[in-house]
Amino acid sequence: MTNSNPHTLNIVAAALGGEGGGVFTNWIIDVAALNNWVCQTTSLAGVAQRTGATIYYIELIQNTAAKSKPVMSLFPAQGDIDVVITTEIAEAGRMIQRGFVSKDRTSVITSTHRVYGITEKMDLTDGTIDSQAILQIAQKYAKSLLSYDMANIASEHNSVISAVLFGALAGSDTLPFSKASYTQVIEQTGKSVSTNLAAFEASYQTAKSKGVGHYSPTTSKDNCAAVKFQLPETATQRGQPLLEQIRRLPEPAHHLAYLGTQRLIEYQDIRYATQYLNHLSEITQLDVGDDTFDLTTNVARYLALWMSFEDIPRVAQQKIRAHRENSIREEVQAESGQIITVSEYFSPQLEEVCGMLPRGLGAWILSSPINKVMAFFMGGRKLKTNTVAIYAALRILASLRHIRRGSLGYHLEHKQIDKWLAAIIEYAPRNLDVAQELAKCGRMIKGYSHTRRRTTTQLASIISATDEKTSAHEIFEWRSAALANDEEALTVH
Amino acid sequence: MAERSFAKEVLKLEAGDGETVKGEGILAITKALLQSGVSYVGGYQGSPISHLMDVLNDAQDVLSELGVHFEATGSEATAAAMLSASINYPIRGAVTWKSTVGTNVASDALSNLASSGVVGGAMVIVGEDYGEGSSIMQERSYAFAMKAQMWLLDPRPNLTSIVGMVEKGFELSEASNTPIFYMMRIRGCHVTGEFTAKTNRAPKFGKHNKVVPNREPEKIILPPNVYEHERIKIQDRWPAAVSFIHEHKLNEVFLGKHKQVGLITCGGSYNTLIRALERQGLADCYGNSDLPIYVLNVAYPLVPQEVAEFCRDKDQVLLFEEGQPEYIEQGLTTLLRRQDSTTRLFGKEILPRSGELTGQVTLLGLTRFLEEAITQGLLPNLELLLSSTQIEANANPLDPEDYDVLSLNVPPRPSGLCTGCPERPLFSAIKQVQQQLGPFHISSDIGCHSFATLEPFNLGNTIMGYGLSLASSSGIREALPHKAISIMGDGGFWHNGLTSGVSSAVFNNHDGLLIVVNNGYSAATGGQVIPSLVKSGRLIASTIDSGQPSRFDHQSIEQACRGAGVKWIRTISTYDIDKMKVTLTDALTTDQPGLKVIVAEGECMLNRQRRIKPIMNKAINTGKRTVRSRFYIDSETCTGDHACIRLSGCPSLTIKENPDPLCIDPVSYVDNTCVGCGVCGENVHSAVLCPSFSKIDLLYNPHGWDRFIATARAKVINMMSPAKVELPL
Repeated sequence: MTNSNPHTLNIVAAALGGEGGGVFTNWIIDVAALNNWVCQTTSLAGVAQRTGATIYYIELIQNTAAKSKPVMSLFPAQGDIDVVITTEIAEAGRMIQRGFVSKDRTSVITSTHRVYGITEKMDLTDGTIDSQAILQIAQKYAKSLLSYDMANIASEHNSVISAVLFGALAGSDTLPFSKASYTQVIEQTGKSVSTNLAAFEASYQTAKSKGVGHYSPTTSKDNCAAVKFQLPETATQRGQPLLEQIRRLPEPAHHLAYLGTQRLIEYQDIRYATQYLNHLSEITQLDVGDDTFDLTTNVARYLALWMSFEDIPRVAQQKIRAHRENSIREEVQAESGQIITVSEYFSPQLEEVCGMLPRGLGAWILSSPINKVMAFFMGGRKLKTNTVAIYAALRILASLRHIRRGSLGYHLEHKQIDKWLAAIIEYAPRNLDVAQELAKCGRMIKGYSHTRRRTTTQLASIISATDEKTSAHEIFEWRSAALANDEEALTVH
Repeated sequence: MAERSFAKEVLKLEAGDGETVKGEGILAITKALLQSGVSYVGGYQGSPISHLMDVLNDAQDVLSELGVHFEATGSEATAAAMLSASINYPIRGAVTWKSTVGTNVASDALSNLASSGVVGGAMVIVGEDYGEGSSIMQERSYAFAMKAQMWLLDPRPNLTSIVGMVEKGFELSEASNTPIFYMMRIRGCHVTGEFTAKTNRAPKFGKHNKVVPNREPEKIILPPNVYEHERIKIQDRWPAAVSFIHEHKLNEVFLGKHKQVGLITCGGSYNTLIRALERQGLADCYGNSDLPIYVLNVAYPLVPQEVAEFCRDKDQVLLFEEGQPEYIEQGLTTLLRRQDSTTRLFGKEILPRSGELTGQVTLLGLTRFLEEAITQGLLPNLELLLSSTQIEANANPLDPEDYDVLSLNVPPRPSGLCTGCPERPLFSAIKQVQQQLGPFHISSDIGCHSFATLEPFNLGNTIMGYGLSLASSSGIREALPHKAISIMGDGGFWHNGLTSGVSSAVFNNHDGLLIVVNNGYSAATGGQVIPSLVKSGRLIASTIDSGQPSRFDHQSIEQACRGAGVKWIRTISTYDIDKMKVTLTDALTTDQPGLKVIVAEGECMLNRQRRIKPIMNKAINTGKRTVRSRFYIDSETCTGDHACIRLSGCPSLTIKENPDPLCIDPVSYVDNTCVGCGVCGENVHSAVLCPSFSKIDLLYNPHGWDRFIATARAKVINMMSPAKVELPL
């Protein structure tokens, strides 16, 4: 035997359950038939269809007059694949990991969008993977790489990703079939023909231009750092002193301090923002010896978020924002003019209601038997914000922010904020690394009710466990442990 | 109404002589059964033969026209017992199931069937769920063939061979009075291709032509008959099978020029072997090989004279046998030893002892074998295109550094519950109750609910088999600090759970809790219909369209449990998380003795969507006032702690980049695949999550009144809305 015999063209298509991988392979069977090629496909149905990752394997060979039929393999084999085509970038990574991509032979076609895995989604902070790293590796190990956001093209044309993949395959010129045979297959289906053809065409053109125009090395995950920020020269008369105060902070902290200031003015008032900037100025004095000003920037970020803690007036304020209805309409793809009803799921707890009350009253209720009576009125509420009465109620609750400074909730939050800042201020002159790590613990303050109580308690125990012997790394470890799991109690030694 | 409809494909089953039929492996098998004149078919669904059951289900018209009787049996044991029709009558029949799990369940009937023997061809089509894509423990069906003396067919995976071997299999069964296993591997079930059809044959006997009852007492499995049965198996049926296989050339020999060595493979692995030879330049893509190949399309029994003939002039032979133990290798070794053959047989010395014969494994094994033969000078002038070192390197082309980067950045994608799945709120509830009363030891079962053992629920300790969760809690229950908890699906309940679980538990004063997840279908296997239905009248939990009469033959889980002696039983919609939590707590803390059963009802959402989507679209398009709901998360209120996701894991509840540049962590986000099942809202209330969730009702074709109210509300609200805060900087 010699190697000049005809060989099959082998394609691995990786998809997630329910993405239409089966439709895609059937289309390839039909294209092959139109071109007088023999096509064999196999797939693994089984449990993979339930949201798991699955692959389809396709072999193609030109039909000849020969009487004997080709014998085609049912297994994709490492070193024997011509095209790897995936509906999502992490799946391209998986195919490389499994050895289906070889430098001398394999063209990789992949969408760059992300469908997050459960481990990425359930992380208490940010568990997402770095898709740029996968793209770089794909570039390095594939014979050729064609990558762009195919989900985007699909949604632009109100179509499905299989049609976009089909266009990518056609435009990649990896198979010896004419464009017309691909479009003919879509037309033959008789289903969603015009939208599928439009998506196919857009993808085909993008592929022809090698994905140019769609591939952009996106910003790193820390989206603040990527944009070069310039403080505005001037502000209104009332804003000018704040602006000046921000200007005196180290430059890397400008953007975050600016955003934080805006947030707190909207949250409360100018006085509150000044309070924030005063804290920052104090921290900056101690931020010596590190020209990234890591300490100041982290405090700028987490202090702004903590000071704008979500109490009932805050949530009410967010629910009645003027731009909210439009955001909702856009996200749920409501038709123009379509009537929508928005039902909010609230479950206010006694602590939150008392937190809104004047400090003395709130504390009294919490410690008196009357809380049993009040608790009866707490619990799950489903409220329609676009009805007049509920909207009015929310409007009143939102206006309670004006008396927030005297509330129990304010008092309790600021007591904890002060503890945190005090710890940072205590350690910064002695050990900047420790202070930086303590500042980063501000990331732990998030969530509502149980989650919030847990993270706040955890931060408090980290602060009280810190002493002169504590290393920055230890604090990092404690924080990681606290953020790794929200079911088991954190032990800080 | 199964997940996949074969309504269009089944028309191909009517193809006549000489017509070309294109389709999947399972379709080819169905057609082959009809061409063979079967009188009855049955089986139990499960990957990889679920679609075979679906094809049969969708082919009812074709079947009944021919006079073929079909049953979707209650279990594999039921299916196996169907084959007894072929003991006394020349009636052909076939049943199918997932193996080895289904074969385990069916074994009692199979052993007795094999002992009695058959006069009509009897065939069990086993979907060998082994290797990649499998959902069960890794075992082989081969052992069952050996112990019961049934023959095992393993044809080459192309549709022509698949069809031909079904037809030959029935002849073999009749010639040797033995029931047959017909093995289909996962990929073979789903392989596409074409074959030339023959006209369907109506069964000799069946509903159109009844048999005369025929009693053959010597075939009943009582002593002393059974001693005679064993003798007949070995002395009559086995030799009859061996000569039929040999005479009809069921196994195939492909000659090759390198006669000193040979390759032996089962039919199912033949294509992979040809590809390996091709990649070494030793075969072409039409299967013409330089090395002789002996293909065992009948994997059991072996045919001594064929083995002897193939090995006669060969120094070395390599056997490609999948998995463990190496039964065929042992069989061949015995044969060669008895024949005083000097041919050296290689098998598991070279190939891995466990796992599938993938392309990579086959190529590597072949290459190692040939390299050894070349070293010994058996193959002069033969040069391999790839060395075993090169092939090994193919498996991981990555530098160690890049390998590590990929390992960190390719997330695992375990199977999970679908968007809107009714089982999700149940597990959210159990997770919340566990926080109060746990930690729990939970006996889990087979079904979609098995996925609760994975992230994000992490509920469940053992899975012992279909319908066996309650049974599997009985040993541990006294040793647990809490009342034993078992979770079972409705599929498992009817398959086995009612008898092995409920009756036995009541009889033994089991004090634990059984949760029966009643989603109205055998959902994990593709949404096949089962005896029970989800009650009508519930908006979300029903499997019956409103206005439709309920199925007349509905069998109730609750009634069945009561009949088995259960006193404490509650039926609750899974979507009512609060009520479910209260009921679970009640069941786990009550003083009332005896088994507690909660029937957790909620229709499989995949099926539900398939059922109601057309209804809803029709309503919208015909101008009917229709409300469609979905959920929405306020990204301004969301703090990105993802507690909601850890309680749910719904595919449509995902994350997106935080729009607020002050925040680093992604926010939760509901994508457009949301079906508005309401679990997110329920969880907000019952687990006291954040106030970021809203339900959005989109109204289609509003009435005049709707418009009037909406406009009025918008006007008033607009007047009340706060002035935008003008930022001073």
